Amino acid sequence: MQGPLIDNLVRQGISRRTFLKYCATLASMMALPPTAGRAMAEAMAASRRPSVIWLPFQECTGCTESITRSHSPTIEGMIFDMISLDYQETLMAAAGFQAEEARHQAMKENMGKYLLIVDGSIPLGQDGAFSCTAGRSNLETLKEAAAGAAAIVAMGSCASFGGIPKANPNPTGAVSVSDIIKDKPIVNIPGCPPIPVVMTGVLAHYLTFGTLPELDDKGRPKSFYGETIHDRCYRRPFYDQGKFAKTFDDEGARNGWCLFELGCKGPVTHNACATTKWNGGTSWPVESGHGCLGCSEPDFWDAGGFYKALSMPADPLKFVAVAAVAGAAVGVGVSIANRAKKGSAKAAHETTTLADLEK
Amino acid sequence: MSIDAIPIHVINPLPTEPGLTGNALPLLREISEMLRRLLETGESTAIDLSALPLTPIDLEWLREKLGEGEIAVTLQASGESTLNETACPGVWWITHRNENGAVTSQFIEVSFVPELVKAHPEDVKIGRDHLELLISDL
Repeated sequence: MQGPLIDNLVRQGISRRTFLKYCATLASMMALPPTAGRAMAEAMAASRRPSVIWLPFQECTGCTESITRSHSPTIEGMIFDMISLDYQETLMAAAGFQAEEARHQAMKENMGKYLLIVDGSIPLGQDGAFSCTAGRSNLETLKEAAAGAAAIVAMGSCASFGGIPKANPNPTGAVSVSDIIKDKPIVNIPGCPPIPVVMTGVLAHYLTFGTLPELDDKGRPKSFYGETIHDRCYRRPFYDQGKFAKTFDDEGARNGWCLFELGCKGPVTHNACATTKWNGGTSWPVESGHGCLGCSEPDFWDAGGFYKALSMPADPLKFVAVAAVAGAAVGVGVSIANRAKKGSAKAAHETTTLADLEK
Repeated sequence: MSIDAIPIHVINPLPTEPGLTGNALPLLREISEMLRRLLETGESTAIDLSALPLTPIDLEWLREKLGEGEIAVTLQASGESTLNETACPGVWWITHRNENGAVTSQFIEVSFVPELVKAHPEDVKIGRDHLELLISDL
């Protein structure tokens, strides 16, 4: 199917207004001016579908799950109508020789023009033996596919920064795409998993403007990762007013106050959850009452505990030492009290408290 | 030097009811400015409500202040969209929903007619061709 996108859509019974509506929502999520939707729709409607090769490496398939469950079925179909997805191990019907053949053919026919999407990290330990496809290491496959790509999209925190496979002690020697490939434009779309519309947004940007979006210092599109969760959070006004939830079921929590003291990583996490939300706009972690884990930042897994307030030192041992030196016996007291409470709560199967949740 | 030595103090207005942040009020001024632009230059503008830190209660407050107008347009396109004029003519409250009824985006558009309501010339052409075919068959 090679004609302009809008013809393909019309053939499938998708009206121009449906497409316009979709573009308006997409523009909103890309933080473009509200009136940019129409311009985007015009450009995208006339665009032709680029070939896309998707390579999964050391990953949990959560990123693919996230994308394929994006929005409603029609919109999801639309995303795949914008591209010609020539290789995706999880989704493709072909297997074995035929699958590999499809990839080689797509690479040959679209040399230098295809988009390469990678999810998962690349293990370097044991000569890459930890993760292989068709008898070849991920490292080999990546290098080969990257050579003919116009650009690479690193989907998810693993491909972007190493993610959970890279967490201490990193048994497989996992690294990110940008640790290996140095001579191609790379867009990082971190998140565990990333927000589906961010992926679509990057594709839409590529189709609309023919270029990759502007990136921040960590290689992430500024339109989605330009601001912190905290800056766009609907609970931010409570932070400004000094109203904090102290436990997960106190009055503050019920009134929807700020979750900073419960370990929310929103202030240091760049992502678009606060505006795009999840599950087709249903909700997002903070709205459901849980602080942000910071999954779109490098090494979020080793950042010192999901339930520790950012203002608290990450290492509890250091915390005690510093408190003792400063003569602040309260600090030590709290730490011991927490430990005691944690023990007794565990024994009595009491309601989980903050102390129980700390790593 | 204590912070009190700085002669500027931030006073956060106390919200009158829980959930109301005070962030919706400045939007009314912005809408008024957008209306002035529409009248003077004919330029349509929009505010993306999902991009602003507004609580559901803030949105309700804003909606209530703007009131209901005479025209309500419903668009069936991958879920229902409503394009409703508010009590201020030219100010439209636009809500896009997906097939499951969840809100995907929300705008305030300041224009004489919302963009989405207008028919695209290409679609008009297709409609005319269809009509010609219909007539020739009669």
